[in-house]
Amino acid sequence: MPVVNDLLEKQLAYVSNPKEQTHIRALWKNADPLMQEISVNLIHGKNEEVSKLTENALAQGFSANTILDDGLIAGMAIVGVKFRDNLIFVPEVLVAARAMKAGMFHIEPILSESGVEPLGTIIMGTVKGDLHDIGKNLCIMMLRGSGFNVIDLGVDTSSEEFIEAIEDNEDCVVGMSALLTTTMPNMGKAIQAFEEVELRDTVKVMVGGAPLTQEFADDMGADGYGKDAISCVDLAKSFFSVKKTEY
Amino acid sequence: MIKMKQMTSRERVLNALAGKPVDRTPVANPTSVATVELMDLVGAPFPKACRDPELAARLASTGYTELGFDSISPYFSIIQESSALGCEMQWEDKDNWPTVRMYNPIWKDSNDIKIPHDFLKHGEVKAITESIKMIRGEFGDEVAIIGKTMGPWTLAYHVFGVEKFLLGTVDNPEETFKALEKLNEISILFGQAQIDAGVDVLTFPDHATGDLVSGEYYQRFLQDIHTDIVDKLPVPLILHICGRTIDRMPFIAQTGMAAFHFDSKNDPQEAMDAVNGGITLVGNINNPETLYARTPNEVKQEVFKCLDAGVQMIAPECAIPLATKIQNLIAIPEAVKEWTASKSAD
Repeated sequence: MPVVNDLLEKQLAYVSNPKEQTHIRALWKNADPLMQEISVNLIHGKNEEVSKLTENALAQGFSANTILDDGLIAGMAIVGVKFRDNLIFVPEVLVAARAMKAGMFHIEPILSESGVEPLGTIIMGTVKGDLHDIGKNLCIMMLRGSGFNVIDLGVDTSSEEFIEAIEDNEDCVVGMSALLTTTMPNMGKAIQAFEEVELRDTVKVMVGGAPLTQEFADDMGADGYGKDAISCVDLAKSFFSVKKTEY
Repeated sequence: MIKMKQMTSRERVLNALAGKPVDRTPVANPTSVATVELMDLVGAPFPKACRDPELAARLASTGYTELGFDSISPYFSIIQESSALGCEMQWEDKDNWPTVRMYNPIWKDSNDIKIPHDFLKHGEVKAITESIKMIRGEFGDEVAIIGKTMGPWTLAYHVFGVEKFLLGTVDNPEETFKALEKLNEISILFGQAQIDAGVDVLTFPDHATGDLVSGEYYQRFLQDIHTDIVDKLPVPLILHICGRTIDRMPFIAQTGMAAFHFDSKNDPQEAMDAVNGGITLVGNINNPETLYARTPNEVKQEVFKCLDAGVQMIAPECAIPLATKIQNLIAIPEAVKEWTASKSAD
């Protein structure tokens, strides 16, 4: 079914890259109008509506996976593009994330019970000395929504805490976040600590955060840099050899 | 550049902020240039140097005596006001900044905002005001003393939590305005106390950064407050906002602030074009890639780029990483002098 929701059509107009437009539009190619309504309300940050619509969808027999993929994650794809292109900023992303959480509240227990194997385990933490977590939390929400098991080490995470988590989780990926230019070098220190305990070769490290650049990530010895939550998911998928979104 | 009689550092900074001629472009530190090396040099380590006026003065003075900057700024973090308001602190050690545990906010809304009666007597607040007096006593009028009072937007992050505050801007903008107006009283109170203690200039950090909110947000929520505070704090004010800010620079230029301290995410020439002569620009040497990780020569190239663009006061973009090498910091005033000499020779 094509996009039939006018408000969703308006949102799609914000996706200016034609290839990206085609890809994102295809997210709704099999989506019921109800899923499209969930997406639109999520984009507008209407958490109560998303909650009600998700409940309705479950009552009508839609599976939790369908609601997650065709309603919530599809909506977040547009939010991600608008954020990346500076059409919206963190407050607008936060209200969309809150709406996604409102939907997830109903479907998460069902997904957990279904026993589907996660795509992989990601250890996430904001680096030592940095107490900012909005970006990290958005990444975690998107990673979990995409099927990853995420271990959240929180903020102000020491190298030792990262190392302990790596040792406890075989074949994991580490994601480090920093918002301050003053704490960014602690990413390099953590990676160096992984080398010192001979764990560096066992783990892929991705880094992100508002002041970071690809150049800085390379200098610090990271395996990947994610500009935003969507690229964080794509990076994680690439590390686990899962098909990632290409535009 | 017109050949002029050599100025004192203080004259140089104040002239640049007033848009008057200078003998050379000043090098300032609206945000901290403290490093572990400097702490060791003068025996003033973190976190004590953030709480003890004598140590704060000693560490801050190295910006002038060891690095050759034209200003001294006796603050090294963003915690003073929030500590005095009752926020939970994380004091850290010598190699990390003290910070506010914003994930444990102290207030829910504007009704909770109350300035403690002993705010100005709080240890971290007095560490600043007392150190200003000591620095003035030691250096007199030879160097510019810069104080710092946090703006209401940043204080809101600290007292309400970043996420909750930003969500509130969407859910209830009227409440956001109320909170900002009340928090601004704290900014004015602390700023005036530093003026009374003897500062020449105040940095006014208010982190409505492009990494978090739009330029339209700046205009809607902060432009009037920032315009208003110019009359309330009668010294030159340097607004500091990290991150991408080009989209809000035209609004900032209309506030009447003396200067804007900008981040390396903004190209110097593009920034100069954006403000169009409406405000003095201070910046914007990159911290994590250049000052922290590169060579003095690479630092100099970045300084030259700022000077070529016409940036009126050179400074690191923000508080520098504590492990930054002194040689890279000394390269900033050296580069300014080399550039000035080359222009004089032309």
